[in-house]
Amino acid sequence: MNKHSGWWVALMLCAALQSGMALAGEAGTMSKADEMKAEPFRDAKSVKTLAVGEKLDILSKQGGWFKVKVGKTTGWVHMLSVRKGDAKKGTDSTSGLLALSSGRAGTGKVVATTGVRGLNEEELKAATFNEAELQRAEANASSKTDAAAFAKKGKLVARSFDYLPAK
Amino acid sequence: MKRSVQILLSSLCLVSASAGAFDLGELKGKVDAAKASIPSVNPKLTEAVKELKGPSESEEIAIGRQIAGNLLGAAPLVKDDKLQKYVNRVGRWVATQSERPDLPWHFGVIQSEDMNAFAAPGGYIFITLGLYRTFQSEADLAGVLGHEVGHVIRQHHLKILQQSKLVDAGSKALSKSVGGNDKVQQLIGSGAEIVARGLDKDAEFEADRIGVVLATRAGYDAYGLPSVLQQIGHAAKDDDRVALLFKTHPSPENRLNKLDASMGDRFDRVKGLTLEKRLLKVKK
Repeated sequence: MNKHSGWWVALMLCAALQSGMALAGEAGTMSKADEMKAEPFRDAKSVKTLAVGEKLDILSKQGGWFKVKVGKTTGWVHMLSVRKGDAKKGTDSTSGLLALSSGRAGTGKVVATTGVRGLNEEELKAATFNEAELQRAEANASSKTDAAAFAKKGKLVARSFDYLPAK
Repeated sequence: MKRSVQILLSSLCLVSASAGAFDLGELKGKVDAAKASIPSVNPKLTEAVKELKGPSESEEIAIGRQIAGNLLGAAPLVKDDKLQKYVNRVGRWVATQSERPDLPWHFGVIQSEDMNAFAAPGGYIFITLGLYRTFQSEADLAGVLGHEVGHVIRQHHLKILQQSKLVDAGSKALSKSVGGNDKVQQLIGSGAEIVARGLDKDAEFEADRIGVVLATRAGYDAYGLPSVLQQIGHAAKDDDRVALLFKTHPSPENRLNKLDASMGDRFDRVKGLTLEKRLLKVKK
């Protein structure tokens, strides 16, 4: 590897880190067999059938649909037939559980070296009532009228829709 | 004696579970009759019996307020009033589409990099800053808040309290006098442990279905909550930030499968707004 390619790797890495939540190029896996469609709706023309476990790149999202790329073919797949990631990631939960039962747990002591504060069971159990914070929370409440005005500003229109059956 | 009191308390619990359908006078009659059937009742039992009838709305709010105050003791609000006001507006608009639009709804973002959200009875709802960071649109926020509103309107936590702690608290009240907030605290266990305890899976699936529908009713794209579940599912299971969430909820995978089955093609012709641009940005 020469100096130049080293720079490129660093640049690409930077770009990848900065892109964060952007969908472009995110990996996905089919969670069930489903059709890839030419357009983002169910009765659009079928492009091809994707098998369960098939890998794809998620390019963008529109409503309940992901625009995806499989090999050289691009099309739309229903979002709920896809799971983000390559399905193998994070199957080992050991460190998470260990982390939960170690550190500050039990003692209620905050270990200064813990970089990321996690809310755990012990911490919640040991929590004491904070009236001042609660009053701050209550002061930020929005009335129905205020919320409706805010919705209107965003062009949100309320509509009726039945609750879903349990399946 | 202790045993017979317990049996009485649990049978009253059963009565109260279907209290909504009863004529209140009739119910009161039953409770009075039950009370009268025990000779030389400890006066504290009267209070316990009253609690077992199921809390009134104001009692429900008092319980929720105590839990909320404790939760904020563990993690304070993010010091960003603009963000707090924003989340309250979106939340209130979503809650307005439910059967309980007039509860005093409160929403907040708490200072924690965990990815989690909490609901307490009476309409107190908090999401962590870590979860907020995963949102890509206002519809994502609306879907998550809709899920929590679902827990409140179906009284999921209140039911847990009625099934477990309340009976316990009732028997404690027999021997020991407690007052004010202490009494509510006794009911909910210690601190905010109630929110660290998992509900049963069906309650979570139900809240997911409600979240999707309330967001849709509010005019949003229905797929906000599923999108967030996709994001969370994407986080490694050994990530500390999802430890509590994964412990207390069915897996995102499982929840997405259930939503997929329930949603089916019902939303195919329902267009909604995502409002990506209106989602308030937070500092890193």
